[in-house]
Amino acid sequence: MMLRRPLAAALTLGVLSLATACAGDDLAEEETGGGAGSGGSTGGQVTLASQSFDEAALITAMYAALLEDTGYEVETRLVDTRGAYLGEFPGTVDIVPEYLAGLGDELNIEINGEGAAAVSTSDTQETIDAMAPLLEEKGIALLETSGASSQNAYFVTQEFSDAEGVTALSDLEGQAVTLAAAPDCKGRADCEAGLTEVYGMDVTLLPLGYASPQTYQSVIDGESQLGQTGTFDGSLEAQGLVLLEDDRGIQPAQNLVPAVTEEFLAEHPDVEDTLNGLMEVLDNDTLGALLLQVTVDRETVEDVAQQFLTDEGLL
Amino acid sequence: MKLFADTWSYLLDGSSWSGPGGLLARLVEQLLLTVTALGLAMAIGLPIALWLGHLGRGGFLAINISNVGRAIPTFAILAVLVTADWPGSDTLGPYGRAGLATLIALGVFALPPLITNAYIAMREVPPDIVQAADGMGMSGWQRFRKVELPLALPLVMSGIRLALVQVWATATIAALVAGPGLGRIITEGFARDRYSQGIAGAVVVAAVALVLELLAALVQRALDPVPRGSSRDRDEEESVLPSTLSEATEAVGR
Repeated sequence: MMLRRPLAAALTLGVLSLATACAGDDLAEEETGGGAGSGGSTGGQVTLASQSFDEAALITAMYAALLEDTGYEVETRLVDTRGAYLGEFPGTVDIVPEYLAGLGDELNIEINGEGAAAVSTSDTQETIDAMAPLLEEKGIALLETSGASSQNAYFVTQEFSDAEGVTALSDLEGQAVTLAAAPDCKGRADCEAGLTEVYGMDVTLLPLGYASPQTYQSVIDGESQLGQTGTFDGSLEAQGLVLLEDDRGIQPAQNLVPAVTEEFLAEHPDVEDTLNGLMEVLDNDTLGALLLQVTVDRETVEDVAQQFLTDEGLL
Repeated sequence: MKLFADTWSYLLDGSSWSGPGGLLARLVEQLLLTVTALGLAMAIGLPIALWLGHLGRGGFLAINISNVGRAIPTFAILAVLVTADWPGSDTLGPYGRAGLATLIALGVFALPPLITNAYIAMREVPPDIVQAADGMGMSGWQRFRKVELPLALPLVMSGIRLALVQVWATATIAALVAGPGLGRIITEGFARDRYSQGIAGAVVVAAVALVLELLAALVQRALDPVPRGSSRDRDEEESVLPSTLSEATEAVGR
């Protein structure tokens, strides 16, 4: 018993570091996924990259299942941050299941430097238009955006909401608030900066992660009043937590959108129809329910994706 | 190159250093964490290791048990402690969020070099000197205090020096549980795509590590009963030490 806990901890960490090591190696590999010489036909190799949190992993699994169904050999690389694959995209990575504003703002920083004014707004079309020159420079094409938009959202305990009469973020105006959120929250217009400047809160940031167990726990324990999650989070109610409305619109348009390198799209134009079909059937509620099967029921993202696509008649 | 220029200007910018989340405040937090964790580990590890070394037994066990601390990643210990009911993530005074958990994790990390060096330092005291002490009728305590401990000190100190620098650099993991220290600057920099900030944080950690190393080396030299340079004169005056010993301790102490 004495040994078991350290041993379990050591094993877990070992596996974790191995996984990260692999992710790093994969990206460094000098292989081209975009089937050189497969010229214009369906099939061939394709490399997907995305972030590793459950939601992104689930959507990536849907892409993978659909592409495999249409004859591609799919390699998936999930990494912790967008920066880890953006250097290889275009490059060894062909398709990325992206979030509209997230991609736009990061490309903006990459191309225009730290501190460049954000290209994203809360309007989808405006954001697409503003991103166009950046995408062209990188050689990336966007397919159709989905109605599903994964935005940051902020929750409080149901208890706090009832006691203080707080249902929208503006109800917290002028108050000192401790916020449990992802470490990148500080200075972001859709997070700390927006809550401070648009909603007038006095925010103390605890970098505990986006919708992480630590973040939920901190809010439930009362250490933080506000926690950060996403609009797809279906686990809140069961934990006695409730989302606050973003009534002043600080969230940029984070619609799901397939990002494909122009080169790959030119060689494999058929992926456009395949992925646009997926974008059509996804919305916030559908994804929220599917995500619960992953986060609460502990089903694998592959199984959930396969089941959903079969039910929708896409496979 | 632009990144290095950005890093440099971040370091030169006064506003990066000031304020509650600035480099200076984070540096002080991390120093406090480091010194306290090291102090705790010394208070626990040194008496045990020195006494076992004096007795000349149990060292194998002590060293190997403390080496478990080397084998388990400090972050794993921290993660387990923070998720547990105790010590959990409660804020502990100036040690910030999850302060106690962080101190314990860092303390465990500091134990192996302290215990290993202290035990070996005691065992390295030449047996003829120990026998001479016994022959003079010294009690065990007297032998420990007057003969073994002074001769062991430089090597003990080199263990402390090693632990100090290791703990200082590792204390950045406190940031992973939203604790204090320069790790916050680093993780925030990378999370926000401000690599200049992340690198600047790392540069400060490295620079302070060098300063600490230097200070500890000075202390170590001051504690040496056979100061370099004048060792021959001192040998003749105090005459307890065979001239080879000073070289031996120095060699191990490096």
